Amino acid sequence: MLHLAVDIGGTFTDICVFNEEGGATRVGKVSSTKDPIDAVFESIKAVGVSPADVGLFSHGTTVATNALITRRFARAAMVTTKGFRDVLEIRRGTKQDLWDAYKDVAPPYIRRRDRFEVTERVDYSGKVLGRLDEKDVRRAAHLIRRRGIQTVAVCLVNSHANPSHEQRTKEILEKELPDAFVSTSSEVLPEIFEHERFSTTVANAVLSPLVGDYARRLAERMKEGGYEGDVLLLHSGGGVMTADVVERLGGRLASSGLAAGAIACGHLAKLAGYENAVGLDMGGTSADISVMVDGETRTTNDWAVEYGYPIRFPSVEVSTIGAGGGSIAWIDAAGSLRNGPQSAGSDPGPACYDRGGEEPTNTDANLLLGRLGEELIGGAMGLDRSKAGGAISKVGEPIGLDTTEAARAVVEVANANLADAIRLALIQRGHDPRDFVLVAFGGAGPLHGAELARELSIPTVLVPPNPGITSALGCLLVDIRHDFSEMHLVPAGETDPEEIERRFVALEERARERLGAEGIAEKDMRLLRTLAMRYVGQWRSLEISVEGAIASLESLLESFHEEHERQHAYKREASPVEIYQLKVAAIGETPRPDLPHKEPEEHEPDPDGHRKAFFGEDEAVETAVYRRDGLRPGAKIAGPAIVDQLDSTVVVPPGDTAEVDGYSNVIIKVGGGE
Amino acid sequence: MTEKRTEAQTLDPVTFEVLKNAFVTVVDEMAEQILRTCHSFVIWARDFSNALCDAEGNTIMQGSQDIAVHVGTLHFTAKAVVEAFRGDIHEGDVFAINDPYVGGTHFNDVRIIRPIFAGGELIAFAQSNGHWADVGGTVPGSFDVGAKTHFGEGLRIPAVRIWSKNEYRQDVVNLITSNTRAPDDVEGDLLAQAEATRVAEREILRFVDKYGRETVKTAFAEVQDYVERLTRSRVAELPDGTWETEDYIDGDLSAEEGLVPVKVKMTIEGDKISYDLTGSHPVIGSFLNAGMGTAFSGIVAGTKTFFPEVPLNSGFYRVLDVHLPENTVVNAPWPTAVTGFCSGAYEKIMNSLFELWSEVMPERALACCFNLEYLLIGGQDKRSDPSPFFMWYDWMVGGWGGRHNRDGSNATSPVFGVGLAVQPLEGQERLTPVVTSVHEIVPDSGGPGRFRGGCGVQKGGTLTAIEDTVMSYCCDRARSITWGMQGGLPSCPHGVWLNKGGPDEKFLGAVFSNVPVKEGDAFARPSAGGGGYGDPLLRDPASVKEDVEDGYVSPEGAKRDYGVVVREVDAELAEWEVDKEATEKERTLIRGGRLGWMREDPESVAERYRGGQIGALDAIRRHGVILDWGTGELLPRTTEGFRVMLERRSTSHWKNGGPRR
Repeated sequence: MLHLAVDIGGTFTDICVFNEEGGATRVGKVSSTKDPIDAVFESIKAVGVSPADVGLFSHGTTVATNALITRRFARAAMVTTKGFRDVLEIRRGTKQDLWDAYKDVAPPYIRRRDRFEVTERVDYSGKVLGRLDEKDVRRAAHLIRRRGIQTVAVCLVNSHANPSHEQRTKEILEKELPDAFVSTSSEVLPEIFEHERFSTTVANAVLSPLVGDYARRLAERMKEGGYEGDVLLLHSGGGVMTADVVERLGGRLASSGLAAGAIACGHLAKLAGYENAVGLDMGGTSADISVMVDGETRTTNDWAVEYGYPIRFPSVEVSTIGAGGGSIAWIDAAGSLRNGPQSAGSDPGPACYDRGGEEPTNTDANLLLGRLGEELIGGAMGLDRSKAGGAISKVGEPIGLDTTEAARAVVEVANANLADAIRLALIQRGHDPRDFVLVAFGGAGPLHGAELARELSIPTVLVPPNPGITSALGCLLVDIRHDFSEMHLVPAGETDPEEIERRFVALEERARERLGAEGIAEKDMRLLRTLAMRYVGQWRSLEISVEGAIASLESLLESFHEEHERQHAYKREASPVEIYQLKVAAIGETPRPDLPHKEPEEHEPDPDGHRKAFFGEDEAVETAVYRRDGLRPGAKIAGPAIVDQLDSTVVVPPGDTAEVDGYSNVIIKVGGGE
Repeated sequence: MTEKRTEAQTLDPVTFEVLKNAFVTVVDEMAEQILRTCHSFVIWARDFSNALCDAEGNTIMQGSQDIAVHVGTLHFTAKAVVEAFRGDIHEGDVFAINDPYVGGTHFNDVRIIRPIFAGGELIAFAQSNGHWADVGGTVPGSFDVGAKTHFGEGLRIPAVRIWSKNEYRQDVVNLITSNTRAPDDVEGDLLAQAEATRVAEREILRFVDKYGRETVKTAFAEVQDYVERLTRSRVAELPDGTWETEDYIDGDLSAEEGLVPVKVKMTIEGDKISYDLTGSHPVIGSFLNAGMGTAFSGIVAGTKTFFPEVPLNSGFYRVLDVHLPENTVVNAPWPTAVTGFCSGAYEKIMNSLFELWSEVMPERALACCFNLEYLLIGGQDKRSDPSPFFMWYDWMVGGWGGRHNRDGSNATSPVFGVGLAVQPLEGQERLTPVVTSVHEIVPDSGGPGRFRGGCGVQKGGTLTAIEDTVMSYCCDRARSITWGMQGGLPSCPHGVWLNKGGPDEKFLGAVFSNVPVKEGDAFARPSAGGGGYGDPLLRDPASVKEDVEDGYVSPEGAKRDYGVVVREVDAELAEWEVDKEATEKERTLIRGGRLGWMREDPESVAERYRGGQIGALDAIRRHGVILDWGTGELLPRTTEGFRVMLERRSTSHWKNGGPRR
């Protein structure tokens, strides 16, 4: 049986095929297309597969993210409590750029004229203060119908505490508007805080018809081609869901495209025996950083595609910085050397591409340092050293550095920026970089990985077999996953553990129901409980995982104090603790490919050639060059060395060693593993 | 502030860039740490800031998301600690300070300062400043409008030691927390802030390990030199010249009505900027005065708005030469009350600078912006027994000023701090017996202009199960209305209404404290929109129509403010159209009459307001008349000052306007 995964990005669509018999993977890359679905089928054709041979098809896509950024989605309406139609526009009032009065927050996804109010009010405890005026709902339905709007977000104040008015509103709207899609905030995200809940619901309302339609068309075309299974779509939380669920929970795909790389990073690290990993996915314009701790890829609820409009579904936590191969080095007004975030992108690209780019980029610097060879993609593209030299001297001359020194300075500044971003991702949560492996992928990740690891005191770097299509691989490696939650704000000291247990059981019932509807057998269901708690008076909560049924809260409280101390370096055991929220992750295990593994046989391969490269010293050193596809498991290489491959270049600096493990990863030991 | 330091860099460019960025990361890590552990809802809403200071207390780096009002003050408090404890600062010590008379902001802003030692040498200070919800005083929330001296405002904390050589001084901390209405939360915040400074210490020591102490110390100095160089090179590109303006606090509670001026003269000469605030009004009898530190902060923040890409540290301050005349609203001495500076003199300085810099950089022009309004309700919450003390302290967003070729932004946090987030009402309702009735954008609140000011909002509520409860308001601009420029017009007045439309309706104004309220009372207040930019009669009628379709402007407002007559095509579809002919007629009528309307007898305008024939926006925008918005009583001196202001900023720019004074 074939497993097929396709990951659509802004520029390229990547495909990864895994054959269960024989355990071989095949990969491919095609340009993304105007209708992204076309590229899916082009990529399938490119690897010579027919949908009829596919047993499992999974898919990551930036369709939803792009729709939000470009505002290309169907007009949507909002129905909300009287007095609150502007909550969505008022947001929390803040701007991303505090100082630039000409940089504005983007407008909301629904225009003011399409936000309708109904008379009703529920208080914080769920008590009804004012009954729902159904005439208002029918009036809104009338206006929505006349305006030809087909998707509605119902967002009422305090509906997390009592959803009955939202439910009734939905009933009426569905009756009056049989063709419209209605999402309620109490279904989409039953959490306290109106703006965050409304904003998530609105994102869901605008995205569901769009990605639902996309998923349906994709599923139909796959079916026409002979595929008989479900189309599984990767969601922001790092799981997949079926096309049917996507039609109702389209908002969950808001960061689908970012999640895949993080998932692959975590999986590859775990296979190689590492439970803690930092993923560095460095492409042409930016780098995405993800973190896995104790075998779990870190997720967050603080997520937004655009500043000001949170989408509080659990999302794989990825931080992006403007540091890629095409990032431009420049000298600022005070004479200081800077790097990024502006990028030469792929057009015109770095100066050495000789396509009209004149600005000095990281790629130009790496070429001058000999770390990159003079051709890319197996010779399909040549790089021009003199163009690179001319560009780099533009930043070298003003600060008195020759071309080589300047190239080294450019790379060092890029690495420092990346290191700061990784440090912020690790240290601020109390993690020690020395406990991590750095998984370097994307076209440019393996070029910078080893030096970056040294800078961060990370002892090991893992470079996957196909760094450039690692994200597509990620789509192959996920289970079906849904997240359920319930607000339950009570003092931990006065809580009946049985009550908590009952609530968890109820959430789990809903979880089983959803998984069952997606065709998951009971034996393949895994339900994970977490309890969010905080000190009374605190605003953020900490999540503690709950094993088994709850008989008492004592051990959970203990875990809370410990976790608080680990993350924040102090605890207040005498202070009262409150329970904030109950969460259940519903996982439907899907058959996962066993990546090909071969017992490593230790050997020292002969280099395929040599070239001069600069590292820390002033002189270029003779550096062995290997072809990646010629390296077998067990191969041991001592730095300085360079491994060239179709989609990337791996640099092993002097003093470091590298070996190829059983999964064909290149494992670099910084400092030779001492 | 004028001492010039620009010796050559001694670090190689890479080490310098690496450490400079690393210092930014350090202060951002401090911010993350605080957000994750704080107790005060004010801090949680991002009313805090962090800085790394050198051994002399100069700021090396300040957080990129910090609140504007703290900018340019953190070095003062670090220096105050150095001053107070010179020769007696040890490893493991931590200090606290909130003293506005040595450069702090107000008593609620408590700063926790940790010295950082490397190899036994003091090399830096890590400072974390957070707004505590309460620091005592006569009024819940410690905002006593009527206070003339600080004794009623709250607890003044001079530099004190709260950890001595790693030993927590619970006695000292108790002395602080026992003087607040929320001792537990206050101590929680103190610990969160202290932990943030520890994060900074750990990181700085890591750099010392890696690069060596001397290199790190050199970087501390060079990062400041770098910012100074960067700023000077930008300033040198600008034309030399002198620009002057003034803005006004509503009045002096202890004196006769009349606007209270804050004057700013700015001179650019070569690569230096100087500001002279001579001529600003003497200290007034309410807490809207600014101390020396916060006035300086207003200068820094106002300038920085026009240099958004320049990092903030003491290098930036060195480019500014600031003269703050003593005993005035911009340099109030001990023991003058200063807690409300943020709504008072501080913001007038900032907005004055917006106007001055708009002349220097017209492509970045910005008319007057909404600023902080802060409503405080505190009392007994009877929803549970025993009834705990509750604090409902609330602030809103408002509109920002019209800009060059662009409308102002709607519903945005105050210039006081764009990072200050509004609170979720669902959270407030859980914690306090206040049910919010409305939180929405107010039509016509944006100052009319060719480019309209952003819209303000209104928020109101009903008090439920309360006892012994009082309300206070820290605000301004009920009279010195948020202004437009280049012919643009003002927005709308601030002020709290109690039981509006009911038999016991009352306008409480924009500054009051300790007003008793009872169960069932309803309150509401608007936030100002931004001032308009350019003559409103030149606004594209299509933009006015679009504003009407979305309800940012009412059909009546379109006619009154823009001379645009719109007709309903199909309101159910939100479709309107411009009646071109009627618009032309209306615009001609306004053009012919408007200068005369501005000269109309103020008393007759007041009479029509009292009679209900005209509203506040007519009085302000058509006639330049300022009233007590509750009683309709004319404020003659204020009106006189307001009309002079309008002529300078608005009417003289109209094509049919008089000569500029």
